[in-house]
Amino acid sequence: MGEKSGSLVQGTLDMLILKTLALEAMHGYGIAQRIEQISQGVFCVNPGSLFPAFRRLEREGWIKPVWKPTENNRRAKYYALTARGRKQLHSETEEWGRQIAAIDRILEAS
Amino acid sequence: MAIWNKSSGGLRALLHKREAEHDMDEELRAFLDASAERKMRAGMPEAEARRAARVEMGSMESVKDEVRGAGWEAAVEAVWADFRYSIRGLAKSPVFTIVVVLTLALGIGANTAIFSLIDSLLLKTLPVEKPEELVQVTEFPLTNPLWEQVRDRQDVFSGAFAWSSEKLNLAKGGVVQNADGLWVSGDFFHTLGLQPAAGRLLSADDDRRGCAALAVLSYGFWQSHYGGTAAAIGSTISLEGHPFEVVGVTPAGFYGMTVGRKFDVAIPLCATQVFDGPNFRLEQRHLWWLHAIGRVKLGIGMARLKSRLAALSPSIYGAVVPQDWDPASQDKFRKRVLRPAPAATGLSDLREDYEQPLHILMAVVGLVLLIACANIASLLMARAAARGKEMAMRQALGASRLRLMRQLIVESILLSLSGAVFGLLFARWGNTILLHFLSTVGGTVFLDFSLDRRVLAFTAAIAVLTGLLFGAAPAFRGTRESLTIAMKEANASDRRRSRLRLWIVASQVALSLVLLVTAGLLLRSFRNLASADIGFDANQVLVVNANLFAARIPESDHTATYDRIGAELRALPGVVSAARSMTTPLGDSQWNTVIHSDAPHALVGDDNTAYFNFVDPDYFATLRTPLLAGRNFTAADSANSQPVAVINQSLARKFFPDVNPIGRTFRPEGGARKLDPPVEVVGITKDAKYESVREETYPTVFRPIAQVAEIRADSFELRTALPPATMRKSIQSAIASVNAAIPIEIHSLAAQVDDSMTRERLLAALSAFFGGLALLLATVGLYGTLSYLVAQRRIEFGIRLALGATSRSILGLVIRDVTMLLLGGIAAGIGLSLATTRLLGAMLFGIQARDPVTMAMGGALMAVVSLAAGLVAARRATKVDPMVALRQE
Repeated sequence: MGEKSGSLVQGTLDMLILKTLALEAMHGYGIAQRIEQISQGVFCVNPGSLFPAFRRLEREGWIKPVWKPTENNRRAKYYALTARGRKQLHSETEEWGRQIAAIDRILEAS
Repeated sequence: MAIWNKSSGGLRALLHKREAEHDMDEELRAFLDASAERKMRAGMPEAEARRAARVEMGSMESVKDEVRGAGWEAAVEAVWADFRYSIRGLAKSPVFTIVVVLTLALGIGANTAIFSLIDSLLLKTLPVEKPEELVQVTEFPLTNPLWEQVRDRQDVFSGAFAWSSEKLNLAKGGVVQNADGLWVSGDFFHTLGLQPAAGRLLSADDDRRGCAALAVLSYGFWQSHYGGTAAAIGSTISLEGHPFEVVGVTPAGFYGMTVGRKFDVAIPLCATQVFDGPNFRLEQRHLWWLHAIGRVKLGIGMARLKSRLAALSPSIYGAVVPQDWDPASQDKFRKRVLRPAPAATGLSDLREDYEQPLHILMAVVGLVLLIACANIASLLMARAAARGKEMAMRQALGASRLRLMRQLIVESILLSLSGAVFGLLFARWGNTILLHFLSTVGGTVFLDFSLDRRVLAFTAAIAVLTGLLFGAAPAFRGTRESLTIAMKEANASDRRRSRLRLWIVASQVALSLVLLVTAGLLLRSFRNLASADIGFDANQVLVVNANLFAARIPESDHTATYDRIGAELRALPGVVSAARSMTTPLGDSQWNTVIHSDAPHALVGDDNTAYFNFVDPDYFATLRTPLLAGRNFTAADSANSQPVAVINQSLARKFFPDVNPIGRTFRPEGGARKLDPPVEVVGITKDAKYESVREETYPTVFRPIAQVAEIRADSFELRTALPPATMRKSIQSAIASVNAAIPIEIHSLAAQVDDSMTRERLLAALSAFFGGLALLLATVGLYGTLSYLVAQRRIEFGIRLALGATSRSILGLVIRDVTMLLLGGIAAGIGLSLATTRLLGAMLFGIQARDPVTMAMGGALMAVVSLAAGLVAARRATKVDPMVALRQE
C-alpha cells in the first residue's frame, strides 16, 4: 500500500478514506493529499490502492460518487460519505481504538 | 441493501462497460492533473511536473486493472473471456468439436430421455391444487355402494371422490372409435381444485340418481375433435350410442388420475344408469370398479388417518355386505379394513411393471455416458498434448496454472453444455420412441413429457458433472508442463499421460463389457420368451369383436345373430376357419372361479382357482391348440345335454392327480359361492398361455358356448390364408351385412401376443442399442489411444527397425500391450457383471443372471472387436520408415 514511507496496516486504508471524507466530499487526489498531509508524510497512498478502495467502498454503499466541477472548472468525481458509511466509520474507529489499546497493553506488559 | 448495491454496481459495470471505462479514465486523468498542478505550484516546470506525476502513479493501465479487479464482475468477465476464447479455440478444430458434442448429445440425450420417463411416470405430482394432500382411501377398488358409504361416513377428508376408466365408443356402428372415458363422482373436479378451460365442470348436483347425461371434455380432446371452439359447449356427443350433452372442458395439462393414460371424456357416475338399464352398476355389491381419493383435512397425519379409517371400516363395510354370499364370506367381508395410501402422484398400472426396468435403463444409459466421457477425456488429453507448448509458453509468460486450468475446464463445460442442448432435442425424439414401445393394442400409453424443472435441472446437472468429469484430468495434466520440458520433443510427461490413457481404455473395456453382458442377458431372455411354446399359433389369426349390446340387439336374438355373423365370416374368401369365444389367449378379459374336482386326492380350498374360456367347436382347430385326449365339443353338446368341459394339461395335473380325468367331473363355484352342477371332462388339450407369456400356464377349463347361455361370447377368431391386414375391409362389410349398427374391433392375435412382451421387448431393444453403442465407443477409444501411443513411439520403432527388428516383432510388441490391457479390462468387466447382473433377476425369463455362456460371449465379442481395432492401429507401427522417424528427432 504505502510506498515512500510507512506502509499501512492491512485494512486501515478504508478507514482512513472514510475519516477523510467525514469532513467534506473530496476527489481522489484531494483524499490522497489529505491523508499524506495529516499523517505528516508517514502514509503515502498510491493510486493503485486508492482507486480499487473507492470502488470497494462504493459497492458497500459507504461512499457515493458525485460529479462536480473542480476549482479550475473541470469535471471531477468527488466522493461523499453516506449515512451507512458514517456508521461504518464510527464502528471501525471504535474497533480500532480497542485494538490499539489491547496492543499497547501487550507491549507495555512485556 | 448492501448485496443489492454490490450486484447492481457490478451489473452496471458489466452492461455499461464503455461508460464505466470512460468514467475511470476521466477520474484518473483528473488525479494526474491535480497532482501535476500541485507540483507546478511548488515551482516545477509544467513538463517536468507532468512527468513526475505520471511516475508517481505508475502504469495507468495497471491501476485500471486493479480497479476492475475490485468488483465481482471481474470474475464474470474473466470467465466470459474464457468462454469466448474457448469458442474460438473449438471453432478452429471443428471435427474434434462436432465429434465431442455429438457423442455428448447422444449420452446426455439418452439420460434425459430415460430420466424424463422416470419423472413423468414415477415422480411428477398431479397438476392439481395441493396434490400432496391427496390420499387414496384404500389401495383396492371399491363397489359403488361401498364408495357411497365412505363418502357419507368419513370425517377425515375435506373432499373425496371416486372414479373409474372405461373405453367408450364414439362411433354409431361400424368400426369402433374408442375414446378414453372417465366416470367421475360429483365432487371430482371440486376436490381437485380444477377450473374449467371452457363452459363448466361437473359438480355434486350433476351426480344424483336419475341425472341428465352430461359430459366434460379433456382439453386435448376438445382441441383435436372440436378445434377448441366454443361451439363444442352445448353440443351432443355419442358415447356407446347414447347422446351426452357437453357442458365444459377441463384445464390444459390435466390428463386424469391415472399416470400413463389420458382421458377424453368425463361423465358422472350416475350416468351408468343410461348404459346399464335397471340393473345398473351403482347398486351392485360385488362389482369392484371404483377408485376413491380424498383430500386430507388440515393437520391430520397419515397415522391418524389410518387409525380413523380403520375405526370407521366396520360400519362402512357392514352396511353393504353382499346379501347373496355365504355366511363365512359375508363375515370376511365385514372384517375388511380401509388402507389409505398417498396419491400425490396419481395412480398407475404401469408403475409396478416399469419401475425396475426404468431403473435398470437409467443405470445402462449412465454407464454409456461414463464410457463416452472416457473417450472425450482421452481426446482432450491428446489435444492437451498437442497444446503442451502453448500451455507452457503461457505459464512462462505469467499465467498462473489455476488460470490455465480454469480456461480448460471452461472449455470442457462449454462442450458438455452444447452436448446437453442437442441432448434435449435427442431426448424429445427418444421419448416418442419410448412411448411407441410402451403402447399396446389395448392401451396407448400417454405420458406428460412437458419439460419441467426437475428434468431441466437433471440435464444441466449431468452436463456440468460430465464436463468436470472428462475435463478435470486433462486440465490438471495439461498444465503441468514446464517450459524446458515442453520444448523438447519426446518426454517423460507424455509417458505419464499415456499410462493414464491406458487406464481409461481398460476401464472403458470393463464398463462396455458389463453393458454387453446385460444386453446379452436381456436379448436372450426376450428370445426365450418370444420362442416359448405358448400352446397356440398366433400367426395369420385375426380377432374380431362384435358388440351386439351396443347395437341394441335384444338378447334373445344374440345367438342367432352371432351364428349369422359366423356364417358370413366363414364364407369370406381367404378365411380358413372361424371360431367364437368369450376371450382369446393373452386377451384383456378373464374369467375364473374355484372348482372342486371329484378326484380322490384333489385339493380343496381357495387356491383351487381355475381359469375359464367359453368356446365353440371350431376354437381349437382355429388356434391350432392340439387336443391330446378325449373329444372336442360337438353340436350335440347343447343346453339340454350333460354339461361338459375340455381341460388343459395343467388343470389335469393339478385337479386330477394320478387319475385319467376323462369321464370324471368337477363342480365350479357359481355366484354367491354356491356349487354349480357337476361338469364332465370330455377332452384334454395341450397347455396354452392364458394371461401372459411369462405365466406358469394357468389351469384352464373350456366350456361350450352352447351350454352357458348367459356368457357374452362376442370374440371371433379367423384363421386366414391372405395377409390379415388385407382382410379388414371384407370383414367389416360382412358384419355390416348382418347389422350395420354393430360396432366392431379388429386386431391380430400376433399383436396381442407381442403386447404381452412389451416390457421385455423394450428392455431388450434398448439394452442392445446401448450395448452396441458402448462397444462402438470403447472400440473408438481403444483405436484412438493405440494410434496415439504408436505415433508416440515411432522413433523407438524406427530405431528398432533400423537395428534389424522385423515388422512382425514390432507388431508383436504392440499387440502384447493391447492384450494385457484387454485381459485386464475383460477380467474386470466379468467381475463387475457377476456383481451387478443380479439386479436383472426378476426381469429375466429362462436364463440365469450369471449365465456363463452370455458372459463368455460378451467377453469374446469385446475381445475380437477391440483386438481388431488394436491390430489396425498397430499395423501403423510397422509402417514407420526408420530414416524419417530418426530425422525428426
